[in-house]
Parts: sequence; C-alpha cells; structure tokens
Amino acid sequence: MTERTNQPAEELHEELERVWGNQPGWRAASAVNHTTVGLRFVVTGLGFFLVGGLLAMLVRTQLALPEQDIIGPELYNQLFTMHGTVMMFLFAIPVLEGAAMYLIPKMIGTRDLVFPRLSALGYYCYLFGGLIILSSLVLQIAPDAGWFMYTPLSNAEFSPGKGPDFWLLGITFVEISAISAGVELVVSILRTRANGMALNKMPIFCWYILAMALMIIFGFPPLILGSILLELERAAGWVFFDVAGGGDPLLWQHLFWLFGHPEVYIIFLPAAGIVSTLIPVFAQRPLVGYRWIVLAIIVMGFISFGLWVHHMFTVGIPQLALAFFSIASMLVAIPTAIQIFAWLATLWTGKVAFRLPMLWVLGFLIVFVAGGLTGVMLALVPFNWQVHDTHFVVAHMHYVLVGGMLFPLLAGFYYWLPHVSGRMPSDTLGRWGFWLFFGGFNLTFLLMHLTGLLGMPRRVYTYDAEMGWGWLNLLSSVGGFVMAIGVAVIILDITLHFRFGRKADCNPWNADTLEWATPMPASAYNFASLPDIDTRHPMWEHPDLPHTIEQGHHGLSEVMYERRDIFGSDAITGKVREVIHLPTNSWLPLQTAAVIAVVCISLLVKAYPLALAASLGVLFFALRWSWHNGAHPVASPWRDDDPVDPPLHSRTFDGPGLWGMVVSLMANGTLYVSLLFGWFYLWTAAPQWSMPAQAPISLVPLLASGVALSLAVLIYRRSVAQLRDGSDARLQPLLWIAAGLGALHFALLVWVLISAPLTPGDLAHDAVLTVMLYYLLLHGGLASIFTALQAMRVRIGYVSLRLPYEPVVVQPFWIYTLGVFWMSFAAFVLLPMVWGAG
Amino acid sequence: MSTLQPAGPSAQASAWLWWGMFAFFSLVLIALVWLWIHAMRRDPGQVSDREAQRLQNRWVVGGGLLLPVVSISVVLMVGIALGQRMLALPLADGEPLRIEVTAHQWWWEVRYPDTGVVLKDELHIPAGQPVDLQLISDDVVHSFWVPRLAGKMDMFPGRTNVLRLEADKPGTYHGMCSEFCGVGHARMHFVVEAHLPADFELWLQQEQGND
Amino acid sequence: MSPWLPVHPAQLVFGLVIWSGWFVLLYGGLSVSCELIPPAEERGAMTWLNGLILLLGAAVAVLLLWLARRCWRAAPATDQGTDSGRFVARIAAAVYLTSALAAFALTLPSVVMAPCL
Repeated sequence: MTERTNQPAEELHEELERVWGNQPGWRAASAVNHTTVGLRFVVTGLGFFLVGGLLAMLVRTQLALPEQDIIGPELYNQLFTMHGTVMMFLFAIPVLEGAAMYLIPKMIGTRDLVFPRLSALGYYCYLFGGLIILSSLVLQIAPDAGWFMYTPLSNAEFSPGKGPDFWLLGITFVEISAISAGVELVVSILRTRANGMALNKMPIFCWYILAMALMIIFGFPPLILGSILLELERAAGWVFFDVAGGGDPLLWQHLFWLFGHPEVYIIFLPAAGIVSTLIPVFAQRPLVGYRWIVLAIIVMGFISFGLWVHHMFTVGIPQLALAFFSIASMLVAIPTAIQIFAWLATLWTGKVAFRLPMLWVLGFLIVFVAGGLTGVMLALVPFNWQVHDTHFVVAHMHYVLVGGMLFPLLAGFYYWLPHVSGRMPSDTLGRWGFWLFFGGFNLTFLLMHLTGLLGMPRRVYTYDAEMGWGWLNLLSSVGGFVMAIGVAVIILDITLHFRFGRKADCNPWNADTLEWATPMPASAYNFASLPDIDTRHPMWEHPDLPHTIEQGHHGLSEVMYERRDIFGSDAITGKVREVIHLPTNSWLPLQTAAVIAVVCISLLVKAYPLALAASLGVLFFALRWSWHNGAHPVASPWRDDDPVDPPLHSRTFDGPGLWGMVVSLMANGTLYVSLLFGWFYLWTAAPQWSMPAQAPISLVPLLASGVALSLAVLIYRRSVAQLRDGSDARLQPLLWIAAGLGALHFALLVWVLISAPLTPGDLAHDAVLTVMLYYLLLHGGLASIFTALQAMRVRIGYVSLRLPYEPVVVQPFWIYTLGVFWMSFAAFVLLPMVWGAG
Repeated sequence: MSTLQPAGPSAQASAWLWWGMFAFFSLVLIALVWLWIHAMRRDPGQVSDREAQRLQNRWVVGGGLLLPVVSISVVLMVGIALGQRMLALPLADGEPLRIEVTAHQWWWEVRYPDTGVVLKDELHIPAGQPVDLQLISDDVVHSFWVPRLAGKMDMFPGRTNVLRLEADKPGTYHGMCSEFCGVGHARMHFVVEAHLPADFELWLQQEQGND
Repeated sequence: MSPWLPVHPAQLVFGLVIWSGWFVLLYGGLSVSCELIPPAEERGAMTWLNGLILLLGAAVAVLLLWLARRCWRAAPATDQGTDSGRFVARIAAAVYLTSALAAFALTLPSVVMAPCL
C-alpha cells in the first residue's frame, strides 16, 4: 500500500506535527499521544522508585544493629508495607507499561496506540491513586499490615485505622491504569501493525508485551475483587474473610496470590523482552531461536497462573495439592531456561559489542539466574517450610525482581535514551553507576540468604543481639547505602547526558527494529508515512527506510480534515483493512480521573452521599466520552469523500472498539469467575460456613428478570443482524425496545434485592449473594443505558446503515450480561437448592 | 535459631536438601555465567544460517530443556522422599504426644490435654519422640517455628493445623512467630525444652501437681 | 478462518487452556474430595482418588498429544509473504506437547503421596 504525495517533506512534517502534537504549555495536560503519556508513566514511576528506595534505606538503617529503637514497630510496619506497595504497584508495573506504550506503536510501524484517551486516563488514575496512597505516609496513617494485607490482621477489628483503606481504595484506583494499558496494548498489537507485518514478522518485544498485557487482563481482577470484598468487610461489616459467619482468611490469600504470582511474571516478561531486543543488536545478528522464545513466552504466560499456592505452602494444605504447585513452580524454570540459552546461542554466534547496555544485561544474567535458582529451591516444599517468611525469601525476591526487572530496565534506558533525547549516553559515569549498584546490591542481598537460613524472620523491626544476625544485617545495610550511591550516580549520568551528551546519529546502535526509523527525539506522529513490512529486521534489510518514510513515499502520507489517522490491520496477516481515526487532545481523561479521585477520597473519609454523587459524575463523563466517537462532529463526521479503500473503521462492522470491548469483558469475566471461586471455596472449605434455612432470593421475580433480559438480548441481536443484512429500517425502535426490556430486567432485579431478607453483615453466604446481585444490577443497568444512547444516536444520525459500527461494539456487553445472569442463577440459586434437597 | 544446625529429623532433612541444592545450583550458575562471558568475548567469524540453526537446537534443547528437566526431576525425587519425614503421618505403633498451642497477639498459650497443664511462651517435650502440635490462633494469622527442629506451620482462627515436632536430644530450642501479626510480631518468642523421656514424665507430673 | 484449523493463531493457546482447565479440575476436585469423601488414611497412596487422578491425567495427556500431532502434520511447507501458517502450526504443536507433558507431570506425585494428609 504505497501512495505518492507531491507535498514536500517539510510541509508534511509541519502539518503532521500540528495535527498530532500536544497543546502548548499547561494545556499539554490534555495530551493523549502515546509518546507523551508513555514518558509520563516512566518519569512518574522513577519518582515513586526514589520514594520506595528511601523507605528501604530507613528500614535498613533500623535493622543495621540489633535492638535499635530509631524506628519503633508502629512506624516500621508502615515503612516496610509502603516500600513493598510503592515498588510493586507504583514503580515496577507503571514504568514497564510506560516503556511499552512508548515503544510498541513505533515498533509496529504506526502513529499511536489505539485508545489514546484511555492511555491518558490510565496515567491520571495512576498519578492520583499513587498520590493518595503516598499522602497516607505523610499523614502517618499509612497501611501497616504488609503489602500483601493478610486478613484478619488487615480487617476492621485488628487494623481499625484508615491505613488499609488507603491501600484498598488507592491500589484499586491505580489498577485502572494497569487494566487500561493491558486492553490497549492487546488491541494495538493485534490490530494496528504495519501492512504485511504478519505474526511471525513481529519484533519479539511485541510477543512479550502481548503476553504481558493478556496476563494483566487475567491476573489483576482477582486482586480487584479481593480488595472490593475486604473494603466492604471493613466499611460495611459484610462477612467474607471472618470465620464467624462463614468467611475464611484463606480466601483472601488465594485471591491475593492468584494475582500476586502472575504479577511478578507480568514484571519479568517485558524486561526479558528488553533483553531479547538488545542482544541481537549488540551481537549484530538476528535472534537465534525466535520460535523457541515465542513458545517459551506462551508457556510462561499460562503456567505462571498455576503457581500461586507456593506462597502458601505453610497454611496447612494437604501434601498432594502442594505437590501440584511445587511441580508447576519448577516447570516454569524450563521456559526461562529456553530463553537464556537462546540468548546464549545468539551471543555465541555473533560478534558482541560490549557497550554499557550489555554490561547491565550481564548483571541481569548473574543476578536473575541466581534468583531463579533460589526460586527452584523455594519450590521444594520441605525446604520451603524452613525458609518461608525468613530473610531468605527477601533475598530471593530481590534477586529476581531487581535482577529480572531493574537491570534490564537500565539496559533499556541506556539503549533507548538516544531515541528519547537525541543524544548518546556516556560510558564512564555509567559504568561507575553500574558497578556501585551491582556491588551494593550483592552486598545487601547475597548474605541475606544466610541471614534467613540462620533463622531471622521477615517483617521484624528489630532482633536480639544473641541471635548472631548483627554482622549480617550491618553488612546488608552498608550495601544498601552503596546501592543508593549507585542510583545517585546513574541519575546524575542520565541527567547530565541531556545537556552534555554527544548528538546521536540516525540508528546509533545499528538496530533492526522500526522504532529507529523515526526522528530522534521522536516526532509527535512517529512516521510521516506508514511503510509496508516484509521482514523481521526492517532496518537491517532496508536501511533507507527513515529517508523514504520522511519523504512521504508510503501510506497515509496525506492529512485529511485535520484527522489523526492510522491503519487498522488484520490480526493474523497484518494486511491493512481499515483506516482508524483516533481522537485528538482531550480533557476528558483528566476530568474523569479527577472525579474518580473524588469517589476514592470520599470513600476514604466515609462521605457516602458524596461518593454516590461522584460515581454518577464518573458515569456522566464516561458516557460523554463514548458520545464523542464515530460520526460525532468532534470525531469523524460523515463526509462524502471519506476513504473507501480501505474504509474508515467506524463505517465497517469491525474495529478497535469491538476488540477493546471483548478484551475488557475478558477482564470483567475474570473478576466474575473469581467471585464464583470465592463462593465455591467458602461453601466447601470455610470452617463455619452456614446457609440460611430458607433461600433468601425469591425465584419468580428472579426468573422474570432473566426472561426480560433474554428477550432484550434477542431483540438487540436482531437489530444488529438486520444491519448486517443491509437494513436499518427498524433499528431505532428495536434498540428502544431492547433498552426498555433491559430497564424492566433492572427493575425486577431491584425488587429481588429489596425483598430478599439478606444479612450480609452476619453470613458470608448472604454477603456473596448480595455482591452477586449488585454485579448483575450494574451490568443490566449499563447495558440498558448504552442501548438507549445508541437509539438516540440513530435518531440524530450518528448510527445508521452506513455507520453500523457502534451497535456491534455494544453487543458483546449484552451477551456477557446474559451469560453472567444465567451462570449466577445456576451457581448461586439453583445449585444450593438442588444440593440442599439432595 | 539456625536451620543449618539441625537438632531433629525434620530440620535435618531440610538442611541436607539445602546443601545438596546449594552445591548443584552454584555449579550451574558459575558455568552459565562463564559461558555467557565467553560467548560475549569470542569472535565466531562468519556463521551460516544453518550452523546457527544447529547451534540453536543444541543449546536450547540441551540447556533449555534437558538441563532443567533433569535437575528438577532429581530435586523433586530426593525432596519428596526426604520430605515425608516432616509430615505428621500416622506412626507405625502408638500415637504421638499431642500438645495444643494457641497463638495470641503476642504470646503463646500451650496446653497439655487431659492434664490441665497450661504454659505461657514455653513448651516441654520428650526428646527422641515425635510430638504433634495442634496449632490454632485466637485472633490473626501467626506461625509456629522452631528452626533447629522442624519447618513452620501457620496458625489460623477457626481451623487447626498439625505440626510434627521431634528433638533428637535434650536441650533448649528457640522459636519465633513467623507470620507478620502486628506491632508485637518481632517480640513473639518462645522456647522448647526437650527432656529425656523419663525426665519429661517427671516434669509433667510436677506441673499437674502445681495446678 | 475457523479457530479449529491448525494454522489459526488461537491454536497457540488452546493446549495451555486445556492444561489450565485440567489444573483447576485437579486442584479443585482434590480439595473438594478431601473435604467431603476422603479415603482412609492408612491406605497411603493406594486409593481410588490417586487412581482417578492418574487415569484422568493420562487421558488429558493423550488428548493433548493427539492435538499436537494434528497440528504438526498440518503445518504448510513454508511461510511466504504474510502467511504464517507453518509458524503457527509448529509452535501450536509444541504448545500442545508441552501441555501434555505438564499435565502428566502434575499427576506423578499421586503415585507415592497420600491424597488428603
């Protein structure tokens, strides 16, 4: 797909900058461009890293000598809780997300991610949520029950302060950014690749990020559900984890670790992706074992979901069940080893330039593999029973997290720095930074394995002198300070290079991937024209690409109606199918995130009417957001000379919104499945589970509600089918009927809820049922509202036969709502009836 | 409190596993790092695609598949076998002594059933005999750990976990709570006193008499 | 293109999806069985539950091996241009094979371990 333009390159550049660029000055807060938003994630993440590091230094200072009282237990418990929370949620994931958001569109040859306003929303949710959590530290009411917040310690009885609420509400707020990044990256990688970039021609980094994004979709919802349930238990007294009433503290542990284990692989995979990207460049040859690595990524992505109980080996679960998790935990070493040996083979067959990024990669190998091997040790249950909850685990996890994430991150920083700033990093100061950090890290954590073996538990604010742990802790603390100096040197190095770094040539490392074909620093639009791709190594095989792209020789080299256009491509072959029009700068993400912050804060201070009002505000902004789409004048109104070959996506039956809806429903579905799991778990394993004698939910109104819903879905599907068949004659009335039936379904469910004698504050059984009913209400209500809005848009003319896209996007939501309703009926109402009767 | 100075069969099993894995995995790490550095330094000259493919298969299959599979199999077989020692399996003859331990924030309540003996922050056991601890919590999650004797077991409200404990010889063994349980967690210590079986009987009778 | 065709990218994940389902059935089934109908302790590892686990594990593994073979053989001779059928089918076969081995490996401890202790 090539187009020639007669426009000179300068003019084209200016026009594209104007259309794709941010607004100047403080108005840049309305930016939705992936380069800007990605860099904001990275810089903010580094800020939080420094906070987390400072907290660690305080911890190490207190532990340096036995029986110190510099920091008492109350403050100490806040410090280590916040250290873990900040590092895991406010640094590791956001920084990698930001790097992925910055790099992916450039690597796949497009101009932006596919939901730009969602990117910006994600950033603001992260920023505001992070600030809310940090404010608790400033106010000295930070959470102090550990980053993993085990119940009953974290419930209202044993942690009566606001600390855990800051965690539960703040982290859930931040997780919006993770889920939104996950959805966006999946859809962008699958549907906006350059023309011809089939799956087997994708840069390996894209495979890693695709896996990471899908793991976020399936991995985060269990924690989101757990947080919602715990907050309900704390604020409203509902029973989920309290033994009296039928709850179980172990349920929290399962939900937390169902998230917690995939979380660390979500952190590792992008970092491994950086290593897989850098090694071929510095060895100046293609990656050996590309297909093996793709296999390893897929295997790792799935198997990592089957390991979570290895964090719970000492809770009293029978040995055979533990063995499943022990084996799975060891099996995951295999795809890891496959990657390591593929890298080794690449290095072996190439002539390696040992530049600064490769020094960090070497550090990664040493530290991460050491951590991985202690991980295999920990996977063995009999050994685990000794060192679980000791400093051995602290050592292990820092080896795998710092080694497996921070080292590759720094390698990637130094590698892509010229891309961001247009200047080369230094070598000397950088090497000093590496050795200080590497040396300090090993001093701190290598001996810590021994500290754990000698019996020192975790999360203790001090220890007796007779234990013999004093010298080990002192050395670890000294190491911590050396590491801090190393970090300072690195920051200095990177800061100075912005000023004094040598100007970088085009493609300074002679890399093979497409991001090096953009200007450096990157323009707002990445590529002046979008090239076709026929190889995995475009910059090696077509070194003149930067020039031909800039000259406008390739696709979409004309700006139509000031619109931000990219190509939409087939997920498998990469062949272009549509032109996707993207939104420009918008204040909606900031406004929406601000209102969500009001919800969060009002829940924290227990101002419930305000929280309700703010929630309605969120709904308002979200609906307004969805209104400014498609053929709305602000987006892409119908014009007679709109492109037809390929067409604009909102004039077709497929597009990014549909894919985004389906992927979001996968995350939603995981949340629902977690609720189902909680139900069945408590029913079968909770020590004091009890069911009321009389089932509280009346069957007839519930069934009537289900019938109304089923009819609504039938009618809705009919309306979409008619559109596909080429008719919109009855579109509006059908949509109104479907919306009306949805409203009836909603009303009947409200009746069911109000008339059911549910006591969620006494029985876990009732609490879970209540949550289920609210969940169904939420979905039925939203489906009706969406459909009513669609009917209105038909009336105005934004939706019609020639603009059939939007009803297609809403359809999966209806089907999901229907599925969840009947599934709930079966699992929560029918099954207990049948079981009780039998 | 060192796991590397085992004084009971359970801790002994764990210590052997540690040393075995430590030795083997250290070799693996050193070998891997050496290979990596060597790979970075060498100049392979011209490598054809076919040669790269063959090399890939050898390295990836040999190092990426065979090495981990063999290592894991060995570790699991030895580990599962040794691990059986640590479990509270039914004894060939007789029943182990049962002691009930209830954890509170931040102290240990120790009961000897059928005798009415109640202790605080200390346990007494007969050396050379297996003892089953019935562990439960009165409030939050705690964990019972005597590193020189056995692995740890968490203690929950509402459910009882069983930990098999055995000391080879008489002595005093320290224990600590090993699940974060609030501000007093770092101070939640206890001691286990192992006596010769005859001395233990004497001690138990004395204690009963005292109450 | 139908997702059941060996060259469809959905095949890349089906093997592990089946493995995941098996894992849930295994862990969930074992936990519920031990809760409701635990076999006698003295029997050690020689119980109906252990036997069932091994049998089901073998069945799942055989299914996955069959799917692996199906994919491997259906791989086109080469990948030209934007075709990636061979790439997908070969990797999918490897995923099925890995899933088969992993599904079976999980069941091995039931040969020696009592199920509910």
